[in-house]
Amino acid sequence: METEPRSRIECGRRWAGRLGVATVVMAGLFLLAFPSREIRKHPERKPVRLWHMWTAKWKEDVDRIVAEFNASQNTYEVIALSVPESAADAKFLLAVAGGDPPDLMAQWNQVIPEWAENGVIMPLDRLMTLEERRAFDRDVYPVARRMGAYRGKLYAIPVGLDVYACYCRLDHLREAGLDPDEFPQTLEGLMDWGERLNRFDDSGRLTRLGFLPFISQLTFPMFAPAFGGGFFDWERGKLTIDTPENLRALRFLYEAREKLGLRNVIRFYSGLADGVGSAAWPFMSGQFSICVDGQWRVGQLAKYGGGIEYMTAPIPPPEGGRRHAGWVGGNFLVIPTGARHTEGAWAFMKFWSGLENPERAARFYTWGGWLPLSRAVADAPAYQQYLRERPQFRTFLDLLPSENLTPTPPVPYQTFLWDRVREAYESVSLGHLKPQEAIARLKRDVSREAGAREQWTHHGQ
Amino acid sequence: MRKHLVGYAFISPWIVGFTVFTVFPFLASIYLSFTHYNILSAPQWTGLSNYERLFYEDPLFWKSLWVTLKYTVVAVPLMVGVGVALAMLLNAEIAGMSVYRTVFYIPSIVPLVATSVVFVWILNPQIGLVNTLLGTVGIVGPAWLQDPRWAFWALVLMSLWTAGGSMIIYLAGLKNVPRSLYEAALIDGANAFQRARHITLPMLSPVIFFTLVMGVIGSFQYFTQAFIMTKGGPENSTHFYALYLFNRAWRYLDMGYASAMAWVLFVMIMALTLIIFGTHGRWVHYGD
Repeated sequence: METEPRSRIECGRRWAGRLGVATVVMAGLFLLAFPSREIRKHPERKPVRLWHMWTAKWKEDVDRIVAEFNASQNTYEVIALSVPESAADAKFLLAVAGGDPPDLMAQWNQVIPEWAENGVIMPLDRLMTLEERRAFDRDVYPVARRMGAYRGKLYAIPVGLDVYACYCRLDHLREAGLDPDEFPQTLEGLMDWGERLNRFDDSGRLTRLGFLPFISQLTFPMFAPAFGGGFFDWERGKLTIDTPENLRALRFLYEAREKLGLRNVIRFYSGLADGVGSAAWPFMSGQFSICVDGQWRVGQLAKYGGGIEYMTAPIPPPEGGRRHAGWVGGNFLVIPTGARHTEGAWAFMKFWSGLENPERAARFYTWGGWLPLSRAVADAPAYQQYLRERPQFRTFLDLLPSENLTPTPPVPYQTFLWDRVREAYESVSLGHLKPQEAIARLKRDVSREAGAREQWTHHGQ
Repeated sequence: MRKHLVGYAFISPWIVGFTVFTVFPFLASIYLSFTHYNILSAPQWTGLSNYERLFYEDPLFWKSLWVTLKYTVVAVPLMVGVGVALAMLLNAEIAGMSVYRTVFYIPSIVPLVATSVVFVWILNPQIGLVNTLLGTVGIVGPAWLQDPRWAFWALVLMSLWTAGGSMIIYLAGLKNVPRSLYEAALIDGANAFQRARHITLPMLSPVIFFTLVMGVIGSFQYFTQAFIMTKGGPENSTHFYALYLFNRAWRYLDMGYASAMAWVLFVMIMALTLIIFGTHGRWVHYGD
């Protein structure tokens, strides 16, 4: 008689348990389906969403700039989001296509002409007053102006230029009996120094590289302008590929490697621990005596260099070449088509870049070790103080006014072009193609792509 | 009828998801392959021009196709061979076998991205494990991922790292081979090789057939390792078809062209799968 109620109780407990599990699962699904509301410090202000790709210390720098902007006014609240670099472009494009883009995107990839041509980003001219536009054209360094422009319109504001120069280890120079004050004035002279600084083991393998005109996939674009070449005629607005100057540059780059032995160079570079972090840079570990690299290494040397004595100097031109020439990249801000708060985005762009208040923005540039877009920022006390603390940084800054510095050509197939330029150098550096063959192939591939793009334009008309 | 409706109602989330996220993009990509499309603007009809460019004007298309086909021909049979060999070894009845099986299986459950990053180091010519081991026997190993003559083979070598995944399937297949067949063969005087050749392999052929088909399909979609480890270089020696398709779509904003590439890929996979199915009757045995 007593078993019936007990079994009922057990049955009831079982059902209660099942119901409990089901409730928890449903509640979990419900919570997942409706993401939590964004936590905002200033919900009454207009939100300006910023996507960027910085991580670690640089992310903290961006967050500090954002915090200062939010504290400086009462209309907008910038909300920064760090997006993983590998997925950032695709995510951004889909957000624009889906009609829900951020209000701002910080970029450093070669995308401006491609995105401008395809309507992904909007021209900034319509947000600028006439005075702002005039000031931009007057104050901003030539290379920074070129970098953000496409077909006569401005699409991006640089907030940190990347300039390359030579880093030299003074201990290595002394050991080889070379006087740092007599730094070579020509590329040929620097190659001679490199030869005196090279070290090999008993089997002839390179153990220390004196100097080689090589900066990974940027090698050809970096050195071609110094030979009077490059890939774009900025006056005529045309691509320049198969020029005698580019051919001369590629020949020089090949011969420099061949002298050391192509396989020897491949083995040496592929064995370096570069890429695992700033502290593993081969210049710091003494595997490079003189190398070409960007200005951010100055900050890294201060942090991880352990007191290495070094100097910086502009890459010398070849005999008869152009001084202070080379490729320049950088970080820049763009506003996507369909952004909701373009005025707020523009206000933040001016704030960060220093177009509005160069003295205030100078501090931001020192946080990240970035090169400013205008002399006004560079001349600000905070930036001058930074230069006094890091005298080697001045080399990079002094290069910025040069008209011989060039960004990636502003063609709507910039990424394609850069991939093919890299391939051309790769084939030559491995000895698989002669320089003239590589340039002919490059010209052919790029012409085909340009022709196809031309066709689409006609289809669309 | 009502009973069926309830059933469909329960699977409706999947039906909706499949229709919206698979069937629709699949069909839309046919149309897009005849257009110029950059994601943002409306597609522009360009007829067969994408296909014409692919076949007649794009050396990289042929290069990437060649690299992918070479990988299919080399790596897939190698994976099958190593998987079967491993399964046969790990089918022996010795102490601690479950530990060995686990050890060989673990690499196949590690995310490919993590495996790729680790292999960049393992294959480092100066300080990598592979060249260090080769160095102990006096061999100077090559610059695996930086030399165009070796980069492709380095990826093939790396593919064997995940052979444990198919090994588990072969192992399950081996367990289903009746013992009586081996006993009869032993009585008839068959040696180990003869038993493997005339009993194990034929009885395992349905499983081999399955992994072969899946391996061929998977090899045509090879992407992650090349994307992370070599970016298609050096000199396009690891520029796999799926990597080029991705570059065209997302880096060059050429979705129409990428759609055409996707359809060419689909047709090739279908054709190869049909060819393998065509040979099926000659070498696959179901024990009847």
